Amino acid sequence: MATIKTFFSKSGLFKQRICVIKSCIQQNGMSSYPSFYINPIYKKEEQEQLKKEGELSKLTHVPTRAALNDQTCSFTQDPDLNLFTNYCMSDGKKVLARSQVEQTLESIKRLQLEKYHKCKTDEDRAKIELNPKVVFHKAVENCKPILQLTPIKRGGVKYQVPVPITAKRAQFMSMKWLISAGKEKEKPVRFHLQLARELIDASNNSGRVVKKKQDLHKQCEANRAYAHYRWS
Amino acid sequence: MRLLGALYAARTPAKEPVHFQAILPLKLKPVVSGKGGKTSDVCCIYEMSVMFNCFKDNDFNQGLCGKEIEQFQNCYTNHLSTKRVRKEKELKGILNPGEKKMSAKQINTLLARHPNIE
Repeated sequence: MATIKTFFSKSGLFKQRICVIKSCIQQNGMSSYPSFYINPIYKKEEQEQLKKEGELSKLTHVPTRAALNDQTCSFTQDPDLNLFTNYCMSDGKKVLARSQVEQTLESIKRLQLEKYHKCKTDEDRAKIELNPKVVFHKAVENCKPILQLTPIKRGGVKYQVPVPITAKRAQFMSMKWLISAGKEKEKPVRFHLQLARELIDASNNSGRVVKKKQDLHKQCEANRAYAHYRWS
Repeated sequence: MRLLGALYAARTPAKEPVHFQAILPLKLKPVVSGKGGKTSDVCCIYEMSVMFNCFKDNDFNQGLCGKEIEQFQNCYTNHLSTKRVRKEKELKGILNPGEKKMSAKQINTLLARHPNIE
């Protein structure tokens, strides 16, 4: 864009028409949509919310982008679980990653049911969560760190400085730790089984990943004296 | 002979002093350059220390420090949003009344409002 502009301005061609040409050339990065196209609202709750507020009628005739492949209001699709699948994926093998995550959910169900049937009293049974998706969400929530250590150089010395992190980053770290814990296993144990165990442990606020999070918090606490060394 | 020597040793009469030449116009520029140092971005130190104290008391069990954690996270999100708003304003050069720290663009808009007297 810039080169075209300089070429035209130097050559003196189309000097008056440069505005017209500018509007014809794509300005929205690599997107095939012009910048005034709005993102689709694909969730039913959001649509109803807009309907209540009376904003929906304003959006009816605004040009809208087509919904992406994973933007759906389906009950079977969980955005966090889809994200987790993508983090599990390596070399673009999505089918494999998806099957592994599905197998993980299945083994969570099996493990929990086994525990459930071993229980003798109703009180113990009530404590066990049988829905694997709920277990997954609980595990991710329990493993989210609050702080992070970043190396900052001051006077030739690198200090590990505790800094707060955003919700998105916390979620990413939690999922990454869970997956890496699933990969740390003996050879005969399958990934999905180990991941299921880790998820169940984390949902009960115990296990290796929660320990890892607490270790990070302890390190942050030890380095709290450097907290004012921050830029970012 | 002695007198002559004394006369030679005496100071020569003072020369005309060096004339001042105004090479650049004698007034300040109406703009400042955009080269500014990075300001430090430390926030939520108090909330962080409160949270750490709570962690230490409860042996790093997060469940018992819900209030402190929430305060800390709210502080951080507030900080991020205020920073974003300030940055947008600074980029556009919109002035905030009563603010002491200003970006180069904001200073330039202020200087343009009150130009030098020609």
